[in-house]
Amino acid sequence: MAERVSNQSVLTWFLQRISGILLAFFLITHLNVHHLFHDITLEGIINFAGVRENLQSSLWWKVYYIAFVPFVVFHALNGLWQVIADFRLKAGTAVLVKALFWILGIILIVTAIMTLSNLFGGGA
Amino acid sequence: MMTDDSKIKGIIKDANLNKNIGNFSYWIHRLTGIGLAIYLIMHTYVLSSAISGAETFNERMGFVQNPFFAVLEILLIAGVFLHMLNGLRITITDFFDWSRGHKVLFWIMAVVFVILMIVAIKLQWPKFFIDNYAAGGH
Repeated sequence: MAERVSNQSVLTWFLQRISGILLAFFLITHLNVHHLFHDITLEGIINFAGVRENLQSSLWWKVYYIAFVPFVVFHALNGLWQVIADFRLKAGTAVLVKALFWILGIILIVTAIMTLSNLFGGGA
Repeated sequence: MMTDDSKIKGIIKDANLNKNIGNFSYWIHRLTGIGLAIYLIMHTYVLSSAISGAETFNERMGFVQNPFFAVLEILLIAGVFLHMLNGLRITITDFFDWSRGHKVLFWIMAVVFVILMIVAIKLQWPKFFIDNYAAGGH
């Protein structure tokens, strides 16, 4: 008999793919702007003033990073959970791991928002 | 009940039994995914120095900007592109019910990966030389 798949599993499967598609866009932009197209010979090493200048240059970057962070954290932790779930944990262990992932996810998002608000600067 | 050790041995045995494109890309996706999730935590840690102010941020960012980290960055970019392209392949296969085309997609993605990596290495090239880090900058 076919094993019933829970609604939550279907939802996380779907969200993993949707967040993955969005991350393809986010990461190509992020890698190009902040890694690959940063010309070390012209711009020198990345520093606080330079990053703040870039982020303050347009409202777009604020919207971009505030949207990027939750998607990347969800995709990373949900992906790790899928890897761990393949080990068929005991029910109690699974609840504990999920709780730890929730805590880690909240810490990552809060840290990223605090970091971004400092880099945006000037009450932006 | 299997122990964790025997579960891991079982996974390795399964991987060796099925030497095909699907299994290979499954492992590439898992390994790059785990690596990128670990990198996300490290990346957040390095950038969070901005919370303490410009001086701490510049000090921590200065530590990771040299030719050694530029080479590691290429590995990171390879991991991102591998995971991204294989993820798109999985999504296309799932959403368009096109499992028969997954092998063709694998080779298309492989060619795109090679092209992207050639461009990435070309753009990253100046960062492999320490003298270039002395440039004026911001």
